[in-house]
Amino acid sequence: MPGRMAGRRALITGGAGGIGLACARRLLAEGAEVVLLDRSADALSSAAGIGAAPVACDIRDPGAVAAAVARAAGLLNGPADVLVNSAGVYRIAPLLDLTPGEWDDVLAVNLRGTFLAGRAVAAALIAAGQPGAIVNISSTAGLVADAAEPSAHYNASKAGVLALTRQMAAEWARYGIRANAVCPGVIDTPMLRMMDDPAAGAAYLRTGVPQGRLGSAEEVAAAIAFLASDDASYLTGAAVPVDGGVTAI
Amino acid sequence: MRAIVTGAARGLGAAIAGRLARDGADVVLLDVSADVTATADRLAGGVGGAGGVADGRVAVGLVADVSDETASAAAVERAVHTLGGVDVLVNNAGIGGPDTDVTGTSLAEFRRVLDVNLTGTFLMCRAAAAVMIGQGSGGAIVNMGSVFGQQGVAGGAGYCASKAGVALLTHSLALELAPHGIRVNTIAPGNMATEMHWDELRSRAARSGTVFGEQVEMVKAAIPLGRHGTGDDIAGTVAWLVSPDASYITGQTIGVNGGIWFS
Repeated sequence: MPGRMAGRRALITGGAGGIGLACARRLLAEGAEVVLLDRSADALSSAAGIGAAPVACDIRDPGAVAAAVARAAGLLNGPADVLVNSAGVYRIAPLLDLTPGEWDDVLAVNLRGTFLAGRAVAAALIAAGQPGAIVNISSTAGLVADAAEPSAHYNASKAGVLALTRQMAAEWARYGIRANAVCPGVIDTPMLRMMDDPAAGAAYLRTGVPQGRLGSAEEVAAAIAFLASDDASYLTGAAVPVDGGVTAI
Repeated sequence: MRAIVTGAARGLGAAIAGRLARDGADVVLLDVSADVTATADRLAGGVGGAGGVADGRVAVGLVADVSDETASAAAVERAVHTLGGVDVLVNNAGIGGPDTDVTGTSLAEFRRVLDVNLTGTFLMCRAAAAVMIGQGSGGAIVNMGSVFGQQGVAGGAGYCASKAGVALLTHSLALELAPHGIRVNTIAPGNMATEMHWDELRSRAARSGTVFGEQVEMVKAAIPLGRHGTGDDIAGTVAWLVSPDASYITGQTIGVNGGIWFS
């Protein structure tokens, strides 16, 4: 919807994967100004290529996040009033082999990073007396378990994102800040591992996904844009699966 | 886009029909109340304006009781004839109550709320899905559930059961209709600034010997976003769910409730 996000200042974390970059494109197309945070130089050059302002940041580091949020406010001429927490990593390890180090690494990016960026952006909005919208990227893996893809650390981090989203919604509603989450299912992005075995992947799509296909990063970005927009003015604390019906089974 | 919106004479349904019309849909407004004709005429008369249909589009009112098998089927047939087909169905028609303890609830009252809210939604889905499958071009259905289909309310068993039923009807139809490219989702509104909600608060005030305004403030105080929802709040979510922007979303219940319930 062209113009729906006109005048909005958006901060998106994580642009290396498909969803962050698709989201940046979508918010730009709807008229927002966009700053993209990532720790990877490649991701940042992709951001610059589509018209988003790149800012380098390790999302796990509180000092770096605070500095990046302040730098974004400078680039956007005001505090970001849209935050999309899409920085995330995906790892596979059966529970019996999963090391504490691997556990900490995944939780640090997916959950701690979402907390740090959310807190920094909300603090700036509250100080400025402005409303805003936060959209966190959870996952259907935060809702259901799957023995075929053992990733307890990832799943726990994404379930944690849902609890964090609800608490953001509960604590920040009084400031006019809405917080919602999307739960992507099997989305065609570089992070997707399910199609590594094409035959098994195709079989899963036929039997496990009612719509019978992978989703696209653009479809997730469209849901994020809705949640960030005034069309979602009465939604807060919601978890919205974008999964082709997987969680309806 | 060719859309049917039920319960569209007033309140949420009128706001939903208005939003879809402004977004460029041809719309049939359905209601058990004859007032729906005037609502549709106002929409059609406002062509190009803030309160009207998009340029060149139509808005037509039809009177029918969705809980009546024959009448609802005939209404869908007439709507399809008027619109030249149907791509979108919004099942918004619903009634409140009975606002009574289980021991004081008559079978007739219990059946009535299930008839309109659940059976009416089933009948409309059945009729419209048959048309959509025949067209072979997919479609989108949005059913109106409620936060009170997600959490229980003492004295509200019939209404809660009807709305919980809508959610699982929706999920099942989503699975069944996905191969036909038809998406089916539920919206679960919270406390809305509608006559239905005010009526309920009036009866609650009468029962508890308090005043209406006090009941309104009590409800509002429990809503994190600090206000009742509006028709526009729901219409924004409907417009999104029936659009290509929600092309990978089916079988879900989307809470539009100001933060009173997290799902």
